[in-house]
Amino acid sequence: MSHLGWLDGSIVGLYIVATMVAGIAVRKYVGKVEHFLIAGREMNLYLGIASLAATEFGIVTCMYTAQSGYNNGFAGATPGILAALAMFFVGYTGFCVKPLRDAGVMTIPELFELRLGSRIRWLSGVVIVLGGLLNMGVFLRTGGDFLVTVCGFDQKYLEITMTALLVSVAVYTILGGMLSVLVTDFLQFVVMSVGLLAVTILILANVGWGRLTATVQEHYGAGGFNPFMHPKMGWEYVVANAMLSLAMVLTWQTTIQRLLAAKDTRTGRQVYTRTSFFFLCRWLIPVVWGIAALAVLTPEQVGGNTLLAMPKLLSQIVPVGLMGILVAAMLAADMSTDSSYMLTWSSVIYNDILAPFHKRRWSEKRGLLVSRTIVALIGVFLLFYGLWYPLRGNLWDYLTVTGNIYLSSMSVLLVACCYWKRANSWGAAGAILFGATIPIAFLVMEQVPSTRHFAREIVGPHFSNIATYLFAGAAMVVGSLLKPRAKNVCVERD
Amino acid sequence: MPEHWIWWSLTVACLVWYSTVTVYVAVRGVIDIKGMLRRLSQPGNGSDD
Repeated sequence: MSHLGWLDGSIVGLYIVATMVAGIAVRKYVGKVEHFLIAGREMNLYLGIASLAATEFGIVTCMYTAQSGYNNGFAGATPGILAALAMFFVGYTGFCVKPLRDAGVMTIPELFELRLGSRIRWLSGVVIVLGGLLNMGVFLRTGGDFLVTVCGFDQKYLEITMTALLVSVAVYTILGGMLSVLVTDFLQFVVMSVGLLAVTILILANVGWGRLTATVQEHYGAGGFNPFMHPKMGWEYVVANAMLSLAMVLTWQTTIQRLLAAKDTRTGRQVYTRTSFFFLCRWLIPVVWGIAALAVLTPEQVGGNTLLAMPKLLSQIVPVGLMGILVAAMLAADMSTDSSYMLTWSSVIYNDILAPFHKRRWSEKRGLLVSRTIVALIGVFLLFYGLWYPLRGNLWDYLTVTGNIYLSSMSVLLVACCYWKRANSWGAAGAILFGATIPIAFLVMEQVPSTRHFAREIVGPHFSNIATYLFAGAAMVVGSLLKPRAKNVCVERD
Repeated sequence: MPEHWIWWSLTVACLVWYSTVTVYVAVRGVIDIKGMLRRLSQPGNGSDD
């Protein structure tokens, strides 16, 4: 039986209509590829904060963070603290992001070409898109799982829900590009925030802080409050997530696209510093929801899938009216994430992977057509990948491993490109090779029955991630030092 | 336990900060959007085709 009443349906319908109208209305301002991909670099501070916050919180975020709260207690919010610190540090110091924005490029690989050559730019584009699409591949199904569970729909409607959501997002993203993404992100930020805050207050009022802490203490003891004392976390979890957080802040394409779309470097850095605390909120708020699910639901009600514990709780405690706001909020969160992610990978495909073909000689009209076609193709890929990929293990672990396919090497390349004069194409190629090979090998071993136990229980995702960063860094240093100095030509842009 | 107070403080800080920022950004964001669209509609900012 559906948990949505007519009032809830009306709220959701109104939100969807408003988003579509706003997203499609701004398409008339798109005249150039630069408008489509980075909004003509006209984004100001508060729009940037809204857009970054909306993009970095999707249903998938809410699901994996709540699962982390359910499985680990408050210690599950540790990556949020690390991400907030990394975000503030990078924004405050301008570490890497200042030279990146000052270079006037549209993507990170474009910067690499200036120091490391066109082949490294192309190769970087390939790993960014590979890691990004694999990462995003699970967004749709996870979002569909949440909506179907919370709304009380039959599971058979999951694919239809996913498809309808993706098509509506694709329509305004294809038409308006980054401009539509920014305007709809703003609307979605407001709706999403109202829903998140209202549901959190409802949970705290219904369940109570004392019951939440008592539940964590009962299930996880001191480890539920301190990641270093948690049996499944420990120092390797904290170190792996610290590396991931810094790399994500420096090179996660959706985050970087806000920096590059900002009207100037100062604005871009301010978007970082002023959004930094949101990166704690985006973890801690759903972690509290996950702990509430642990406190309220019995193991029989949760079943074997802890990912669905939080939506099952919400379907039970959220009243009519607020349910509509919750569903609208989560749709907003998901739509803003999907649109930004589709656009950001398309920008890398167009700007870097297709660079050898267009060589900046295509007309704006042709460039726009190709960019829009790429967004549509990414949508088709997501639909099919999201339907057949069987997610094994923890969702956050999957996202970190797939993200690290490029986060590790790209962060190493970016730091070296900005601050190490000896960095060259040999080192870069080595870093990309090791950075991609280790996570892909881990993913494959996790799927193959004969190696699954070794991958998940003996190595584990945390050590796999740490090894990825260490090997990528070492490959950059060794490869760069091996290349003869005389051939190390540094190409500077005027 | 002291950890309880740390997480309680962080949760309250999140709710207060997030509520404040939502209202502030909701107001200032509209101004930003208007400014962005105005600048993009100015001559010289259209397609070069």
